Amino acid sequence: MKRRKQSEERGIFPLSNSLKTRNWNFSRLQGRLAPYAFLSPALIVITLFFFIPLVMVFVLSFTNLDMTNFGILEWWRPANWSLDNYVKIFTNRFFPKILGNTLIYVALTLAFFNVGMALIIALITTHISRGAGFAFRALWLLPRITPVVVYIMMWKALAGPAPMGIINNYLLGPLGIGRGEYLLNTSPWVFVILVNGFIGASFGMILFSSAIEAIPKEYSTASKVDGATTWQTIRYIVLPMIKWPLLFVTTYQTLSLLTSFEQIMLLTDGGPGLYQTEVWALTAYHRALTSYFGNIQWGYGSAWAVVLVVIGVIMAIIYLRVFKFGELVEEPKIDRL
Amino acid sequence: MKKLRVKSRIIVVALAIGLFLIGGAISYAQESETITFTVRTRAKPPMENWRGDNFLLAAEELNADLKAAADPRRVEIELVQDNTDWGPYVSEFVLSYGAGEAVDIWLTGHEYIGTQAEAGRIIALDEMLKEFPTFNLVIDGLWDSTRYKGKIWGIPQDAEARPLYFNKALLKKLGWSQEEIAVLPGKIEKGEFTLYDMLETAREAAAKGVVEIGNGFWTRPSNGPDFTAFYYAFGGETIDFATGKLVLDKAAALKYYKFFYDAAQTYGSMGGLGLGWSDSWHPGVSGSKVLFWVGGTWQWAEWAEIYLKEQGGEAYMWENFGFALIPAAEKGGKPNSLTHPLAYLISSQCEYPDLALALVAKVTNYGPNTRHAIASTHLGILKNQTEYKFYKVSRLLSETLYMLDYTTFLPNNPYWGSYSTITYEALAAAVGGEFTPEQAVDFVVDGLQRELGDKVIIR
Repeated sequence: MKRRKQSEERGIFPLSNSLKTRNWNFSRLQGRLAPYAFLSPALIVITLFFFIPLVMVFVLSFTNLDMTNFGILEWWRPANWSLDNYVKIFTNRFFPKILGNTLIYVALTLAFFNVGMALIIALITTHISRGAGFAFRALWLLPRITPVVVYIMMWKALAGPAPMGIINNYLLGPLGIGRGEYLLNTSPWVFVILVNGFIGASFGMILFSSAIEAIPKEYSTASKVDGATTWQTIRYIVLPMIKWPLLFVTTYQTLSLLTSFEQIMLLTDGGPGLYQTEVWALTAYHRALTSYFGNIQWGYGSAWAVVLVVIGVIMAIIYLRVFKFGELVEEPKIDRL
Repeated sequence: MKKLRVKSRIIVVALAIGLFLIGGAISYAQESETITFTVRTRAKPPMENWRGDNFLLAAEELNADLKAAADPRRVEIELVQDNTDWGPYVSEFVLSYGAGEAVDIWLTGHEYIGTQAEAGRIIALDEMLKEFPTFNLVIDGLWDSTRYKGKIWGIPQDAEARPLYFNKALLKKLGWSQEEIAVLPGKIEKGEFTLYDMLETAREAAAKGVVEIGNGFWTRPSNGPDFTAFYYAFGGETIDFATGKLVLDKAAALKYYKFFYDAAQTYGSMGGLGLGWSDSWHPGVSGSKVLFWVGGTWQWAEWAEIYLKEQGGEAYMWENFGFALIPAAEKGGKPNSLTHPLAYLISSQCEYPDLALALVAKVTNYGPNTRHAIASTHLGILKNQTEYKFYKVSRLLSETLYMLDYTTFLPNNPYWGSYSTITYEALAAAVGGEFTPEQAVDFVVDGLQRELGDKVIIR
């Protein structure tokens, strides 16, 4: 008290307790708000362009909004909502076919290319000279960086009927295989999977290559000293060490393939014939956004899209459970010691 | 006093000059009141460009008329013209209307009128049409294609025939004489050569190696108006004129699906469904790989201009291709064709519908319409147009004109899109062997009832 008085006499006033608290509170508040401020631009963009459309699509899926009643139907009123679209989907005679197509497309593209081929390329290119490996990987990136319309036009030229089609003319013809037909009509699935797979493989290729490069060389050296074959080195050293990227690529690419349709749309548009290569996402697009006679059904198409979202969420949960993502992302046990 | 008089004179002169200037400015402002009309057309370049380009000339003519009538308004055209697909083309109009930015004049297939009229996006034109005598030139029957619920909603822009084309060179290879080929269109017109005769010929051609299996008879590769002509050939109806509702005739539908099932599965002659237009379909038919195919008169110009230019264009085609009506289903029956007129519609968001219609009146005349007809090989829409000097120069248009006597239309109904999708899905499944004809009919009945309920009459 005495000291305070002396200070006051000398014109020195200590900060009041309340002021100190206020300052402390303010800086604490600032500290707490700062992350949100940094996040807010992304949050606004995601809200505007993802969450709001998602909610709208969800609501639309319960309505019969289409070209005939657009601007007339008050689709936001619950009185205009019903489950009719969902009933229509599940009683549609082509529903099993479209679902089957989707599963075939996702499973085969994933197994042969997005994971399988990606892994093979990564393994090969990390076991040859660094420069050659890099060049080879760069080649595999070309399909991904080529504009999709140009890319599909190239495939159409490849698959064209004889004598125009490159495959027919220079490969099947000289070997005496096939009758020179338009290969997109005779083997549409082969091309749908190849076209998507050539793009998809590069994603896993990059992740796997970097993961393999990150494995300390001592492990493979030790295995060689122990007399392990190449296959044994891959099976018992490389694969366990890249388990995390493997599972991530499988999960991510499954969801990505489920929702992809643009290459198929440009290549076969779901044909030839009736729904031969029509996948779920393409049906949602066809119903919601295009039709020869303009009977565009936004409500019905939205219902197809919502079912796809549900399938995607279920698949994601299954992957999380089966692959035990929780264990993968927890802190290494060694750090706890 | 004198000074005052001089001053007042100066003021009077200044006032007079001021008034003159203001008056001039006002009259100038009035003269320069320019209204921009947005015209949206769909056209395959370069053949169909007159659909929109005619408006650029029409605006000049209309401005001259307005000036002569001391009307201060002047028009200018903003033309949006491309070859986008019909689905996105219609969506664009509907969505832009929702945003309050619809185009003023919209060219589209007549079958969209029902949907747009029902939603209030276009205006009925009956009363306004009377003010433009030019519209009396339009062939009376074509107005039916733009009528919905008793009113006229559009002005026909063009028409066409959708003939059955045949490849003369391949028929010759099959052993047909020159004369037999020459009389084929006449035999079809008299009902002596039926749809099943065509399939028999196609099967024979495949068996003798004249064409590949599946190349005996092609339709268009995807959903579209042509299939309806076959349904009509088997006695089918699409609309009940009393109620305006869509109709499915089950007995006719069964015959229709049986024909397409037979064409692909029994006779092995029908391929072509699911092909890409420019990469396979056009090269296939124009490249003499197909014996019979259904196309449109407008494709004649397309083949000559794009696919067969190097072989000699039209001259080559007259040598190698022939055309006839779509044959009758049974001997002695009536053959047919289908016309799908496009029509100019006026948006209800257009602020000056009188001027918009005046522009349409300008392009609905012998000169402009013939320019389009000749360039795109579409049929004319005006009375006595065949007598018009410049129309006569097209041999194709003259030789296909009789087909209008056998023509049919698609119905104007808001739900035609859904009807067409369901009936086409069943057709594609029957062609692919996934449905028997009976299953196809069941599928259609079930689909129409679920999708359209009481908006469709099933007989």
